[in-house]
Amino acid sequence: MRYLRAALARLVGVFTGHRADDDLRDELDAHLEMATAENIRRGMSPADALRQAKLASGGLTLAAEAVRAQRGLPWLESVAADLRYAVRSLRHSRAFSIVVVITLALGIGANTAIFSVVRGVLLKPLPHRDGDRLIYLRQSVDGSGGENIGFSVPEIHDFRVGAPAFGGIAEFSPWNGILQEHDNVTKINIGLVTGNFFDVMGLSPVLGRLTRPTDDGPGVPPVMVLTHEFWIRHFGGDPAIVGKQLKLEAGTATVIGVMQPAPGFPDPVDALMNMVISKHHLSAQMVQGRTHRMTDMIGRLAPGATLQQARTEIAGTYANMQRDFKDAYDPGSHYRVTVIPFKAALGERARLTLWLLMAAAAFVLVITAANVVNLTLMRGVRREPELVVRAALGAGVARLRRLLLAENLVLALAGAILGILIAIGGVRLLIAFATRYSSRSSEISLDGVALGFALALSVGVALLLSFVATLPKEGMFAAWISTGARRSSGGLRRQRLQRGLVVAQIAVSVMLLAGAGLLTRTMIQLSDVTTGLRTEEVLTMPLQLLSFSDGDFARIIKADAAAKEDYDRIRREVLALPGVVDVGIGSNMPLTGSSVGFDVKAEGRAPAPGEAIPHADMRTAAPEFFRAAGIPLLEGRTFAATDRMGAERVVIVNQTLADRLFPGEDPIGKRVAWTGDVLRFTPFSPDWRTIVGVVGNTRDGGLDAAFSSTMYMPFAQELALGGGFAIRADSNVAALASAVTRIAHRIAPTVPIDRVWTIAQIKDRSIAPRRLNAQLLSLFSVLAVIIAAVGIAGVLAFSVSARTNEIGIRMSLGADRGRVERMILREGGVLVALGLVLGVGGALAATGAIRGLLFGVAPHDPVTFIGVALMMAAIGIGACWIPALRASRIDPAVAMRA
Amino acid sequence: MAEKLDVQQGTLALMILKTVEVLGPLHGYGIARRIEETSKHRLSLNYGTLYPALLKLEQEGFIAAEWRQSENNRRAKFYTLTAAGRKQLARETREWHQTADLIAAFLAPRRGEEAP
Repeated sequence: MRYLRAALARLVGVFTGHRADDDLRDELDAHLEMATAENIRRGMSPADALRQAKLASGGLTLAAEAVRAQRGLPWLESVAADLRYAVRSLRHSRAFSIVVVITLALGIGANTAIFSVVRGVLLKPLPHRDGDRLIYLRQSVDGSGGENIGFSVPEIHDFRVGAPAFGGIAEFSPWNGILQEHDNVTKINIGLVTGNFFDVMGLSPVLGRLTRPTDDGPGVPPVMVLTHEFWIRHFGGDPAIVGKQLKLEAGTATVIGVMQPAPGFPDPVDALMNMVISKHHLSAQMVQGRTHRMTDMIGRLAPGATLQQARTEIAGTYANMQRDFKDAYDPGSHYRVTVIPFKAALGERARLTLWLLMAAAAFVLVITAANVVNLTLMRGVRREPELVVRAALGAGVARLRRLLLAENLVLALAGAILGILIAIGGVRLLIAFATRYSSRSSEISLDGVALGFALALSVGVALLLSFVATLPKEGMFAAWISTGARRSSGGLRRQRLQRGLVVAQIAVSVMLLAGAGLLTRTMIQLSDVTTGLRTEEVLTMPLQLLSFSDGDFARIIKADAAAKEDYDRIRREVLALPGVVDVGIGSNMPLTGSSVGFDVKAEGRAPAPGEAIPHADMRTAAPEFFRAAGIPLLEGRTFAATDRMGAERVVIVNQTLADRLFPGEDPIGKRVAWTGDVLRFTPFSPDWRTIVGVVGNTRDGGLDAAFSSTMYMPFAQELALGGGFAIRADSNVAALASAVTRIAHRIAPTVPIDRVWTIAQIKDRSIAPRRLNAQLLSLFSVLAVIIAAVGIAGVLAFSVSARTNEIGIRMSLGADRGRVERMILREGGVLVALGLVLGVGGALAATGAIRGLLFGVAPHDPVTFIGVALMMAAIGIGACWIPALRASRIDPAVAMRA
Repeated sequence: MAEKLDVQQGTLALMILKTVEVLGPLHGYGIARRIEETSKHRLSLNYGTLYPALLKLEQEGFIAAEWRQSENNRRAKFYTLTAAGRKQLARETREWHQTADLIAAFLAPRRGEEAP
């Protein structure tokens, strides 16, 4: 109470000080008068009496100062005064202030924006309860598509028994549903989960309830939990959603709740359901088939258990499984399980890219700060006279330092405010960018932490700036004042510092340029990759008329003929559209990955011991498909109308599979078959099939992926489990999209249609993420180079202006313009050369870290490095030229008088 | 003349409060005179010590100030003890006695340590 009251009184004192000053003077005067009168009464002369009274007072001014200090909040008042002064002083050097603020804003803005993204995607704690204890398990095998093959239910069961370090293990199996509402159909991504899923994940409902173990198994009603995102997007956040019946193709499900916002995993899904909706998930095949791997596994560490413990137990259990079930783990494929924290698994794809961008942004900040330091140093030299005057009037080192700090704080905070505005725009762009890499992009926001980050950066810069300016040591002021301010080039230490900063700027710019160059070349290499198709004038339209989602084969077999008829009707109508040259039906579109693939065997040719069993993607194609899609036929024939149900089973293989199965032999006429345990769970026959043709490879796994083995079966000979159209036109195939979509929608009104893309669009989507990487890094490096060029030009210009006198003398002694120009160029050239050497060295050491982002270009690609060095050298020398020219135009007569 | 002492931190406030309690409303000069006399001129208060202390007590609400005519008919600022000040004085006096006793007991020569 007492302190509060005193503090309030002092705060009031800050504002009422002027009035109180008169009051105080009167009071002190009265005191002095009374003391004098007393002295006179004691017999002193009036003059003596006053003198004695004044002596005893201890100094009226000092006393007034002391009272004033007690009255208000002196530090607050002097900080306010400092800031006022700083703003005034900066207003006088407007150009300097603007340059500094903009430079800092760019540096701080870029860093704040990228930091927000890194934090949202990689660093923020997960929204899940005790998210750090969540563990993701991944089973991998060699070969393309083998990075994450999932687990089978028996495998998960064994882990549950064998790894008590997990308090719970939940299953998640991706599933597609088609939501049928009265006026529209929507394809939705669903995760089929075990009842313990939400408990293990540590997620809570925002509405209703979540699934629980009683929702497991057969004989329970199908229930659905909506993700927060889908609830808002599709149902407008309808609070009455709980209890609603939603009609899916495979049955009707009741919405029981909405879960809290959380990153979708392993893929973003719209809703989560119990397994009962899918007959297949409860079938014996699924529950007992050890090789039937289609489930993701997420575990939560038991209280007290460690990640290491979990790893050991999983490894032990897995080794036992491999020993007990040799058939399920072909040794040539190198089956393995990795145990990684869930948070790391979520950030996996984004990590390298984001840290690269963070490093690039940090580099830009380094260059920015170096430039601002240089500008400050130069300004410091010019204002030395002013500081000398202040020192002569009694300001100490601490006072001067505080003044500088106030100025730099004003600059840095202005930079931070502008930078935050830049960051607000930047974060918006970056969220779209991050969505490609992480399902946590919705957690990115420019929040208090990010703002604190920006503030900390700016205060750090201000402190740095205030302490690079040299002030004499306390006690050396007299010498400083007496020498005056004629040392206008600054001390040697200052010059060295400036030059060092320029070298650092160039070196860092070179590193950024090298990174940008490598990513740009990656992008160019990628767009030069041959797709394997003859033409890009192809429109693709995937269209799945038969849904496989409930695993009810009896129903599918019944519906198959009708579906095939619909496919054919659509094909005929599309073919009749003007401009269309060819239309082919196939299960998968070219340049698009296939999720279905099985092991393959060739007749009379067993794999050597230790050799991985060949594996191939499975696709179906109608006779016209290859021609329409532009897939070249290399040998044999394509399918014919006679290759239909009941006829001899035939296949066409791609080049890679032909080479893999029959190296150096003619594959035509040879027989192959699908094989493997998992085939039992599918409608595909393990019968022998005769190869009738070989087609060229296509980049189906993405432009940067290796060719995979593919085996095509006649569309007519198999169930139409997948389908789509490759449509070729003479020109402008993209314009056909709406007409084609209309036809498909008329014939199959309940089937959602999306991804109607041309081959060119598919290709572009494959390149897009890398192009964005390259563009962002290029943006940063252009920024860096510009700032660095300004930096070197500025430092040289300053050096020239400081040496005006000297240059005048040289010229009057006979140095011609060319010589002066060369002298200044040499001065700058040395700095550029040093920076180049350091930068190239640094880049050689650092680019290995981004190997994972490169394609078709080595991290030490000489072309890139030479190009970057030449470019930086040219820009550096160019920047030196301006001050050099200025130096050569110095008029000796004028210069020497200065 | 006795040796001059510096006013110890914290004790000045107590002296001022006591002076105002004993003598009633009083101006700064009067307070300084009284403290110097009571200390038999071993303490001397310059303005830079006295007036900040008065202001602090006023800010804390222990004394109140008001301009009045002095005994010899000139205007001066008189300080009066407030109710809160009275309480504070009692508390500080008690604490001071306790501290003084403690220090005295602490510094008293113990048996066996007495000077020979």
